[in-house]
Amino acid sequence: MKIIAAFEKTKELSYTSHLDVQRTLQRAFRRAELPLAYSNGFNPHPKLSFATALATGYTSDGEWLEIGLAEPLSPEDFLNRVNAVMPYGMRFVSAFTADDSMTTLSKMIVAARYEITLYTDAETDLESVQAALRSIMDSGEVIVEKKTKSGIKPANIRPEILEAEVLSASDTIAKIAVLGTLTAAGGLRAETFARALFDRLNLSGRFTAHRTVLYFEGCRELPCLS
Amino acid sequence: MNSTTSDMLLSRVEKPARYIGNEWNMERKEVYDFRFALCFPDVYEIGMSHLGSRILYRVLNDMDGVYCERCFAPWTDMEKALNDLHEPLFTLETKSPLRDFDVVGFSLLYEMCYTNVLSMLKLSDIPFLSEQRDETYPLLVAGGPCTVNPEPIAPIFDAILLGDGEELEPELVECVRQAKREGADKQTLLKRLAKIEGVYVPSFYRPVYENGRYVRTERLNDCAPEHPTRRVVRDLDSAKYIKRQLVPHIQIVHDRVAVEVMRGCTRGCRFCQAGYIYRPVRERKMGTLLDQTRELVACTGYDEVSLLSLSTGDYSELHTLLPRIIDDMAAQKVSVSLPSLRIDSLLKDDLEKMQTVRKGGLTFAPEAGTQRMRDVINKNVTEEDLLRAVTDAFTSGWCGVKLYFMIGLPTETDEDILGIAELARKVSQCFYRLPKEQRGMGFRVTVSVSTFVPKPWTAFQWCAQNDQEEIRRKQQLLKNALKGVRGAELHCHPSVLSVLEAAFSRGDRRLCDVLIGAYERGCRFDSWAEHFKPDAWAEAFAANGLTMDEYAYRERDLDEPLPWETVDALVTVGYLKREWNRAREARTTKDCRQGCNGCFGEHCEDYCRV
Repeated sequence: MKIIAAFEKTKELSYTSHLDVQRTLQRAFRRAELPLAYSNGFNPHPKLSFATALATGYTSDGEWLEIGLAEPLSPEDFLNRVNAVMPYGMRFVSAFTADDSMTTLSKMIVAARYEITLYTDAETDLESVQAALRSIMDSGEVIVEKKTKSGIKPANIRPEILEAEVLSASDTIAKIAVLGTLTAAGGLRAETFARALFDRLNLSGRFTAHRTVLYFEGCRELPCLS
Repeated sequence: MNSTTSDMLLSRVEKPARYIGNEWNMERKEVYDFRFALCFPDVYEIGMSHLGSRILYRVLNDMDGVYCERCFAPWTDMEKALNDLHEPLFTLETKSPLRDFDVVGFSLLYEMCYTNVLSMLKLSDIPFLSEQRDETYPLLVAGGPCTVNPEPIAPIFDAILLGDGEELEPELVECVRQAKREGADKQTLLKRLAKIEGVYVPSFYRPVYENGRYVRTERLNDCAPEHPTRRVVRDLDSAKYIKRQLVPHIQIVHDRVAVEVMRGCTRGCRFCQAGYIYRPVRERKMGTLLDQTRELVACTGYDEVSLLSLSTGDYSELHTLLPRIIDDMAAQKVSVSLPSLRIDSLLKDDLEKMQTVRKGGLTFAPEAGTQRMRDVINKNVTEEDLLRAVTDAFTSGWCGVKLYFMIGLPTETDEDILGIAELARKVSQCFYRLPKEQRGMGFRVTVSVSTFVPKPWTAFQWCAQNDQEEIRRKQQLLKNALKGVRGAELHCHPSVLSVLEAAFSRGDRRLCDVLIGAYERGCRFDSWAEHFKPDAWAEAFAANGLTMDEYAYRERDLDEPLPWETVDALVTVGYLKREWNRAREARTTKDCRQGCNGCFGEHCEDYCRV
């Protein structure tokens, strides 16, 4: 049996890496004395498997992972016990149980929704940001430089952008919601999208990204598109 | 600090998670009337691994109305970000500037972090020197092993704490708190502090120099003791301990539960400052250790426990304790490690026990290559002991060992250097002599060599350090001698740094100006090779009419007054002289568990219960 659960990561902890989060959760689960299933071998470790990693610096409303159990545990029990020992800034928000035979989350994940906030170096307004976004959405190709293993290469990210809208924009702050593809093989990166927007706006600045939903296919208990 | 400022800072640095706090077991307080900033002049990953700071964080936060927060040296990128945005350095708990605290206390563990102290003060807009600060500034204090020679940093601190802090720190806090309530001025406070056992108030003492050398110290105020004495916690078993150990988000150097099994060491290695300045040895009871281990594992979720002390292998009930802790922890898949192993006959059982959970690295410290040299330094380990221990380890499945050595030791000859390679060769042979089916794969014997630094309050405190050229020659000699030893790998610590370390560890008060000069020339994080600026240091020495060589390479006369003798580290100078004389004759001194060697002199009755 396994537990499928989602946790939120807020401002305070957004600067921890995926590896840090893995360690933090393993230790929290031990503090909660959960009946975890361990791998065999010299270095037994609990069986945790994430749907996807969250980039360092991002916040999230729901990061999904699966946790292998050695004994049954109810989702309510899981939430109560774990949330009592989670560090400030991280908390589990939902959980359900599943058979070990269930397809892994990383194979079911299809998309992610983000709220991106641009902090521009010069003033902007709703119209400009909307125009910039429209120019992205209307293009057949949006070429950005993408870091790959073999160096920086141009890539078309337009197919990865499913939906996007400007939520607000005034002074030097613009908020945009974007839905992008996300699978084990890759997908839209909030950073790339933000850079493309800065480009079209002809502005520079910094941004923050908040992941609001991860979408899956093939499991009714998980968030799905449509 | 608001969240935008914090974002702006954190987005500019490589490892922002060093500065975010909010770790599990972090202290949160709403009501407090006294603020203590516990500062560590190195990066988070190192400072968070320090046992003493972990204990003090607990001791201080257990006090009613006292809120102790942490602050670490910002890495150079954060230093730049703070300067660029005109923001002060901040604590991790409430993100407050150090200026807002009642006491700012630094842990000084090694001399090479002194420039970071200055960098932290600068970023907090706190003047460097005690005489430049009135009572509107926080009281600046320092503690930790470096304070056994407080002189090079004496002008910076208002008070310096000598020895164990568990009882001393709360006394200091109560004294400062009382003075604050009364609105007492700084001089009044300092006079009261000087009366606390273990407190050294540098401004009440003035060193005198003649012909460019230190000759004596004048006491300027009758309320200060002639020789402030190192503080000792007599009953370690009931002393405060870490209790709710912080669990960092990022990986730190010693990322595991730390259980202090004892304090002090009875071996009497003559080069080892810790061995002298943490005397007498004090053990915790086995039951206490089992309880503390369980409690710490439960409240942290760590899967590794380390049994800490200067020489855990000497803990009197180790062979009963170890199997019990290991069994206890195995059920929870928690592994147990020892920082160092004693090379003796019972080792094999312990090794097999430890291997059942997880296999760590194996490290031995013969320290010197020949029996004569080991007798000089009083490292009572024989070649036979070592070879038996590694053979046991190899048959138990280990296939790598790390051996620690020092070069540049007093009386050392080339024969002693070649002896290191010879020992490595014999260790290698021990492995390859085993039948193939009994040994593992990928054998490694790592020979790790550091440069000897003479330290105050040791038998070698009068000795000259080898100069760099000589050290490099010896390193090369060893490198050549190790060729052809199967599986051998040599790691040498750079020798330039050890000269500076030698200068500061036996320095006098004049070095404070050199320190400030080096800071102003950009020196930071001197123990990090990529930041160490030997030329800037040389300039800073020259600008003050001093040289590093004089402090590091000059042999002191046995009757010469030494700057650190203003404080009393409990071990007597007479005893150190006796030890130095025995060393010269390569005569060993017995472990003091086998009978008193008289190291405390007249303090013996009061302090030593071995």
